[in-house]
Amino acid sequence: MATNRTGGAQRPNGAPQTKVCQFKLVLLGESAVGKSSLVLRFVKGQFHEYQESTIGAAFLTQTVCLDDTTVKFEIWDTAGQERYHSLAPMYYRGAQAAIVVYDITNQDTFGRAKNWVKELQRQASPSIVIALAGNKSDLAAKRMVEFEEAQAYADENGLLFMETSAKTAMNVNDIFLAIANKLPKSESGGGAGGAGGARRLADGDTPRASSCCK
Amino acid sequence: MNEEALLARASEERERIFQRYERGRENLAGQIDPWEDPEFEEYHKTDRYGFIHDERLPQKTAPQKINIEVEREKKWVKMLATWDSPTTKEKLHRRIYKGIPNSLRIKIWCKLLDVNRIKSDNPGKYHEMLRLAKQWSTDVRQIDSDVNRQFREHQFYRERYSEKQCSLFNVLCAYSMYNSEVGYCQGMSGLAGVLLMYMDEEDAFWALAVLLSDRKYLMHGLYIEGFPKLTRFLEHHDRILTKFMPKLKVHFDKFGLDAILYSLKWFFVVFVERVPFSLCLRVWDIYLLDGERVVTAMAYTILKLHKKAIMKLNDMDLIVNYIQVKLHKDFGFEDDIVIYHLERSMDELRRAKLDYPGPPPPNELPKRQLGMFVEPDKKSKIGQRAENFSETEKQTRATVILRREKAAMELQELRVSQSDTVSDHSGVAANVRCDDSVSALGSRRSLADTSVTSTADLSVFSSGRSHAPENSLDTHSNVSDDGTGSGIGGLSIQRAPSTAHSTPRATPHPPSVSPLSDDIVRIHVTYNPLAASPSHLHPSPAKYKSYSDEHHKPISLGFYTSNGASNLSSDNRIRIQVPSEELLTPVVDSGRIITQRYIESQDMYDLK
Repeated sequence: MATNRTGGAQRPNGAPQTKVCQFKLVLLGESAVGKSSLVLRFVKGQFHEYQESTIGAAFLTQTVCLDDTTVKFEIWDTAGQERYHSLAPMYYRGAQAAIVVYDITNQDTFGRAKNWVKELQRQASPSIVIALAGNKSDLAAKRMVEFEEAQAYADENGLLFMETSAKTAMNVNDIFLAIANKLPKSESGGGAGGAGGARRLADGDTPRASSCCK
Repeated sequence: MNEEALLARASEERERIFQRYERGRENLAGQIDPWEDPEFEEYHKTDRYGFIHDERLPQKTAPQKINIEVEREKKWVKMLATWDSPTTKEKLHRRIYKGIPNSLRIKIWCKLLDVNRIKSDNPGKYHEMLRLAKQWSTDVRQIDSDVNRQFREHQFYRERYSEKQCSLFNVLCAYSMYNSEVGYCQGMSGLAGVLLMYMDEEDAFWALAVLLSDRKYLMHGLYIEGFPKLTRFLEHHDRILTKFMPKLKVHFDKFGLDAILYSLKWFFVVFVERVPFSLCLRVWDIYLLDGERVVTAMAYTILKLHKKAIMKLNDMDLIVNYIQVKLHKDFGFEDDIVIYHLERSMDELRRAKLDYPGPPPPNELPKRQLGMFVEPDKKSKIGQRAENFSETEKQTRATVILRREKAAMELQELRVSQSDTVSDHSGVAANVRCDDSVSALGSRRSLADTSVTSTADLSVFSSGRSHAPENSLDTHSNVSDDGTGSGIGGLSIQRAPSTAHSTPRATPHPPSVSPLSDDIVRIHVTYNPLAASPSHLHPSPAKYKSYSDEHHKPISLGFYTSNGASNLSSDNRIRIQVPSEELLTPVVDSGRIITQRYIESQDMYDLK
């Protein structure tokens, strides 16, 4: 698996050719669908049955190596309860990628995920890469959301889609990798034009802010 | 599904969840999913407070510490017998700062919160609320999911549907009916969870009620829609940082680290799971005695004690991890030392008149009578989410976004100032946002001299969120001659002296300034935290005065947010109207020029 926690962009031949790109990614979804667990699995390779509830939001980073690029994700893991919704724009503003998570054993959380997608399409950068994650796929016996239904919805809306399990680690790294692959990695190209790609000052340090690559 | 079916489903779900807690662990044999339960008990890893750790604990508390605690217990027992006497009042402060003996916490906390009085004033209320919750509460699903993950490493809460888990569920459900404005908000399970480690169910319920609605704590405003108290306390926290630790503030801003990202649990649950539990209890002891000032001072103390270490961390990830995770595992200072510093911080802040952000504005107070049953509307019964934000939520959104933008602007301003060799780093840092007129002018002058015609700085935005009516910023600001704005949205645009008259830019840019940052509009929204009502009733204290000399005559602007402005299609916009013809300034958003034209009279510009 091409994750690299230290983030060193080393290639086998030692040539420092690798571009380093930094992207802001936000996780959204109903309470208790497993947002924090997905992040914990991806970033630390761990799983806690009783992941403490996220209050406000949590922030973590993880680095992924693609062929010629190192992608550093700045991950914003948000609180799921509706009351915290008003804080969410603070996290998804300027985000280049989002994972909208639902729980495959709970139909309501899928409906909620659709609303998040709608909100992102309306409010976030037009070029944002959105992935839909049907989490808890290890609980397939209790499935309430059919794979095909979610796949069809994802296709209609141009979303990446995978069923994941933070518990078994199934598809967790894969979904992040798929996002990394889809993100524009050149300074000028891809979504960098217009409102989308250009990272806003508010998102952090100016030198890194203009686009993803250094 | 039609509405009826949805209602039936929701009520069926509520009953099913309740039933499981009523039956409890004993009667649910074989019906608890394996993932809901821990594998086995490990008592040798349990600390004296009941938390179970990953590894065997190195050693029990040192014997001499136990002896001290035993001695203290004797004194406390005596004191408890004469609780209302003047001598007790005298001794209480000193003794509580030394720490309440753990075995007596249950009694002392109940005394400090006056639990018995409120309980005897409301006989039968708790059980009435619990009964109502069973029939009506719309928060049951959320509470159930949070009970299942609150303090699961604690022996009381470790087993699914254990007695304490059931109590936690009951207290939160009952409270969601007792205070219908708050209902249940994530975070409250932490508060109730701690209380239940020491109290029985009904006492914990009343203790929670006191924490939320008693003037001394008033956590109500933290948990209601829009979190008005949180934003107010965060602003105050920022003010303290700016005054006492400006370099640290700049360090945070450099990485886009808003206080909301590291300090939420400090304010919401009074440091639970952010500092080691033993220290957390000591802070709670003092919090229950002295109220909300303690949270402000402890937040400051934590950063003060760890400033050096944090300044060395050059990544938001590392800083957040240090403050939230590392300090929880190992605070690095003995509890007594921390409390010593906490007490000093409280004095220090008091002297600087920064110990208290002021009395709560009306929107932080409970509006409905507590304990009165209000039938939930259909949408919440079904569990449907609101499709649109309420006005309060829109304001919160605008506030949090602007907090971040403001910090970024300040940082940029700092960079600009740093490029001016004359300006001294620390001086600038210290005054990046504090509205001390003299020094602020100094740094702004230097800013103008370095070349920038007009500048950008969505300065203190703040109070729009709380005291204002719906369209909080839709106010042609009443900026008076001395530049003092109203608490609500006193807004002034300011032209830098002398070079400010140059229209399009002619001065060369200093090399270090980003090409995007050269031409910027500076908007000062004067903040006055004391003005809960219109400013003319509350003369602003001198320290909030700004920019009053002749070069800095403010020009009033109309300042709009799109929250309530129906003619704007998208949120996250600020609309600026410039009613002055003399102002020739390009419109800039976040350092980016968004129009090449110059503002003319009465034109409206939307900033995204």
